[in-house]
Amino acid sequence: MSSERTVTIVPEAGLHARPAAKFVETVNEHDSDVRIGYGDDEPISAGSMIAVTSLGAESGEDVRLIADGPDEEAALDALERVLTTPEDELADAEG
Amino acid sequence: MTETLNEDRIDTLAPTDHIALDSAPADKRACIEYLLDLLVDAGRVEDRDAALEALLAREEETTTGVGMGIGIPHAQTDAVAEPSVAFTRSETGVDFGSMDDEPARLIFMILVPESGADDHLSILSTLSRALMHEETREALYDADTPAEVQAVLKEAVA
Repeated sequence: MSSERTVTIVPEAGLHARPAAKFVETVNEHDSDVRIGYGDDEPISAGSMIAVTSLGAESGEDVRLIADGPDEEAALDALERVLTTPEDELADAEG
Repeated sequence: MTETLNEDRIDTLAPTDHIALDSAPADKRACIEYLLDLLVDAGRVEDRDAALEALLAREEETTTGVGMGIGIPHAQTDAVAEPSVAFTRSETGVDFGSMDDEPARLIFMILVPESGADDHLSILSTLSRALMHEETREALYDADTPAEVQAVLKEAVA
């Protein structure tokens, strides 16, 4: 079994720089395997910075997240938060 | 994405004088300056200080060491008039502080004017996609001339 969710990217610069790093870190903080992709395209590893960079996902675009593992719902919740937090708030949250 | 990095653009983005195969400085900042100077010497950069500042500000935000032995320092800055890509290699590797702890051995620099946000993201993502393939990375390690590097890139983004 796996869980999946489609999320619209909020940060203005897209899934790039700090939001991308935060996204990959969040994937790696969880035990589930997480993949990311567009629509029906073959999803790629969400735990790799180069893979996430290769998506070139822009603000306003929808990405599909697929998580498989013991904490898949928690992983999707945390990743959705990263993708829907404006970049300045993400920076504030990190202090 | 409004524009894409395709094989026809490699010659314009990364002419052979943007490519240095000698071992790059092992220090991250020195390596970034080394790549920048390739673009300065090629006449692509109108304001070296502004370009360096933009590149270092981007690194400050989060490292451009994307793992798999790849570093892609990049910035949008009006210190350049047209999108430009430079490339070098390091046998020992440069510590980019990437999440997978692998030192960067293949290092690209991307500078794009402020107005080119879409182009910037498109070059970065296409290059990253190409570099995820082990055969592309191996071919870049093995290339003997800047022209060979161009040929590898053209095939990888085709």
